Amino acid sequence: MPILTVNNLTKIYESGMIIRRYIEAVKNVSFSIEEGEIVSLVGESGSGKTTTANIILRFLKPTSGEVLVDGKDIWKDINTFEDLKEYRRKVHAVFQDPFSSYNSFYPVDRVLYQALELLDKNPRTQESKSLMEDALIRVGLEPKHILGKYPHQLSGGEKQRLMIARCWLIKPKLIIADEPVSMIDASTRGGIIKLFEKLKEEENTSILFITHDMGLAYYISDKILIMYLGEIVEQGTPDEIISSPRHEYTKNLIGSIPTLYRKWE
Amino acid sequence: MNRPVLQIENARAYYIVENNYVRAIDDISIVIREGEVVGIVGESGSGKTTLSNVMLMNIKRPLSLIDGKVKLYSNGNVIELNKLSREELQKNIWGKETSIIPQSAMNALMPTKKIKDSILDVMKTHFEEIHEKEIIEKVQARFEEVGISKDVIFRYPFELSGGMKQRAVIAIATLLNPRFLIADEPTSALDVSTQKMVLKTIQDLREKEIVKSIAFITHDIATVRQIAETLVVMYAGKIVEISSIEDIIKEPLHPYTRGLLFSVVTPEPEVKKRGIYYIPGTPPNLMYPPPGCRFHPRCEYKLDICDKEEPKLKDVNGRKVACFLY
Amino acid sequence: MKSYALKPFLKYISRKFIFLLVTYFIAITIVFILPRAIPGNPLSTLLRQIFQQGQANPELIRSVHKTLMEEFGLGKPWYEQYIDFVTRAFRGDFGTSISSYPKKTLELIIPVMPWTLMLLIPSIITAWIIGNTLGAIAGYKRGSFTDRFTLNFSLIVSQIPYYWLGMLLIFTLSVKLHIFPGQGGYSQGTIPTFTLKFILDMLYHYILPFLSIVISALGGWAIGTRVLVIYELDADYVNFGELLGLKEKTVFRYIFRNSILPQVTGLALSLGGALGGALITEIIFNYPGTGYLLFRALSTLDYPLIQGIFIILIGSIYLANFFVDFLYALIDPRIRLGQSEGS
Repeated sequence: MPILTVNNLTKIYESGMIIRRYIEAVKNVSFSIEEGEIVSLVGESGSGKTTTANIILRFLKPTSGEVLVDGKDIWKDINTFEDLKEYRRKVHAVFQDPFSSYNSFYPVDRVLYQALELLDKNPRTQESKSLMEDALIRVGLEPKHILGKYPHQLSGGEKQRLMIARCWLIKPKLIIADEPVSMIDASTRGGIIKLFEKLKEEENTSILFITHDMGLAYYISDKILIMYLGEIVEQGTPDEIISSPRHEYTKNLIGSIPTLYRKWE
Repeated sequence: MNRPVLQIENARAYYIVENNYVRAIDDISIVIREGEVVGIVGESGSGKTTLSNVMLMNIKRPLSLIDGKVKLYSNGNVIELNKLSREELQKNIWGKETSIIPQSAMNALMPTKKIKDSILDVMKTHFEEIHEKEIIEKVQARFEEVGISKDVIFRYPFELSGGMKQRAVIAIATLLNPRFLIADEPTSALDVSTQKMVLKTIQDLREKEIVKSIAFITHDIATVRQIAETLVVMYAGKIVEISSIEDIIKEPLHPYTRGLLFSVVTPEPEVKKRGIYYIPGTPPNLMYPPPGCRFHPRCEYKLDICDKEEPKLKDVNGRKVACFLY
Repeated sequence: MKSYALKPFLKYISRKFIFLLVTYFIAITIVFILPRAIPGNPLSTLLRQIFQQGQANPELIRSVHKTLMEEFGLGKPWYEQYIDFVTRAFRGDFGTSISSYPKKTLELIIPVMPWTLMLLIPSIITAWIIGNTLGAIAGYKRGSFTDRFTLNFSLIVSQIPYYWLGMLLIFTLSVKLHIFPGQGGYSQGTIPTFTLKFILDMLYHYILPFLSIVISALGGWAIGTRVLVIYELDADYVNFGELLGLKEKTVFRYIFRNSILPQVTGLALSLGGALGGALITEIIFNYPGTGYLLFRALSTLDYPLIQGIFIILIGSIYLANFFVDFLYALIDPRIRLGQSEGS
């Protein structure tokens, strides 16, 4: 059974008080993610990829269609606080801007405390402390250099690593990563990408990787979905998409990406 | 070898912040020759944008040129830009001999004037007398050359799309056929398909000999690879490697170049074979740069000498690299 | 080309106009509610007031009472009172004054309005122009002596209240030094006529109240524009223009033009406050304008007159606001043509 199934998802935004305007941000989107699979959702800004992510994360209610996580409809089958908690343990998000997830008045430890609380663990115990240290080490951070620091004392890469450390505490089945490296310098980006690969290999975590960067999607994914104007116009394995794109949009996109190992004609 | 167009000799440009120096450009020498497109690549904080300001001698507080020369070769004369006042630069050099396609072309045009009127204002600084009709005809011809409609000049900037605006900026920047052009991340704000178009437009500038040489500043090797022959790699205010782009892609010499190149992911099978790399740590604070080689704290090939002495750029098989491994 | 250019402009203007009507309606409603919100019967309060002022002529009182009963419609249900009030307000009938019975309030307001407008409009515009220019120069020469001087001066004058500055001017230039008159709109004993002598006399009396408004208002403009200019100095179009060789003068003109745009809106927003300041200034200088009339109306609790003044003042502010919005659209093409990417 796939960990995530999205069926005929549609989101229509309405605006205007008297003259109603309708914007179809997501049109009839369907796809699924198997356990341990990394699927990339590739599109430019305004393509509807972030809206799709926000619906899967339960931040937005869809106009129609359903989202099943582990076979449960996230809008119909989550009724109690306990259900919601269970859902939050299964599905975890990593966002583009690692700065926005931090409150600059608290030490960064709070980011991990929140994860522990989701697991019903008291963050002050010795057990919690060793769990936290273990998670930090797994994402390549030195606990004694990180704990007790304030957000401005960490680099962008360190903050994003810290966000991923939460995934090692919670061990979600599905991670929704929305442009997780687009604000990080090129030379440190690879380190973050490797952390996602490690989660997949060691914990069999599934990842929905949302990006505008075709190169990244090509490198990391088992499957790529191309999104354009709210629709998924094409999907396939990375090699299929790159070597024989079918949709006009995909063809144009791939033809426009600068390549490193060959020069354009 | 072609004649030089712009030459920087031992330039040091520091930002003065509360009695302290941020050593943004530290002892840099570059020659840019006729007919050449030189790529200058580096990450944020490498000093590449400061370098573009030094090349044009656009030095404004708190930036200050501490040492070094900036020479422009113009019709057999050598003009030392660092000896000219800002007024002289504005009157005789900028826009005429040198020009720039700025980083954010989105907002590079005066927002509340028609493009035509902004252009006429620029012309008024360079010529005592201007014939409006004649200028407009020339401008329109240039607009069509870069692939946008000549009627665009009668519009306001906000009426244009991103790609159109960027090409309008290119047309305006090159109206007086400047010898030397800096393109400062000209594509980074555009979507992928527009990027390719703009890149082609910049390439055309040199092929049509509208400009003699171009310094293309970017953080993206894959982009600059499409347009430049020579690549200058910058790290923490220093040049670490200068070499032909083909050589660098085949075999990067400096450990930083290697790390940067191997962290680039493009949709190519070679990338999957190669894998993805990254450089641990973060770039140094340029107020207190590390002793010796500025890259040594992040370098996996660090030798004993690296934190004691500063490596100089040296020739290695016709390439230049600043590293003790060679 | 023309029709495409006109449409967003008309849309903008009509939206502003509808907004104006709606807010004016709300303002009239508030003016309607206020005297009725005072506990007890406002009429008996008023009449008691008149008694206390010693006007015991029962005939007059009965007549005043009758007129007021009719105009306030106190016997009728509130919605009838309201409809009545609004319709009469739109006809320009704001009722009969109590303190100057049986004059209509409008008859009292119309003669004083020119004095207020004459004081207010030139002083606000002068303050706006001088303040913005000073601020722009200071911002452009950021960190220089000119900048520091302008900033400190502006900070000080902008913190001085209108009335205090007015009193200070009266005390120094009028009472102590006898350079300017500190009282009235013209010399006592003269009758307003259209002669050169009277006009000169009027201008002589005009200087102090005018200065007190200009000085206290220009600091705020200067501080605001300075910040806007400093912000604009780093704009991409400034850098690009400079590197194309644009003259410093032209660059300054560009910066000035773009940074005063928000100040045009600021002008519209400040009109209400400026009017308040002008009213107080009039009271201090015994200037024969609306402020002085309002002061009298307030001290005699002449509700119909207060209401009439408020409705007219609010209306004028809205009209001026509308005019500024119109002006803004004329100088900012982004509003005029409707900001949209591509076309």
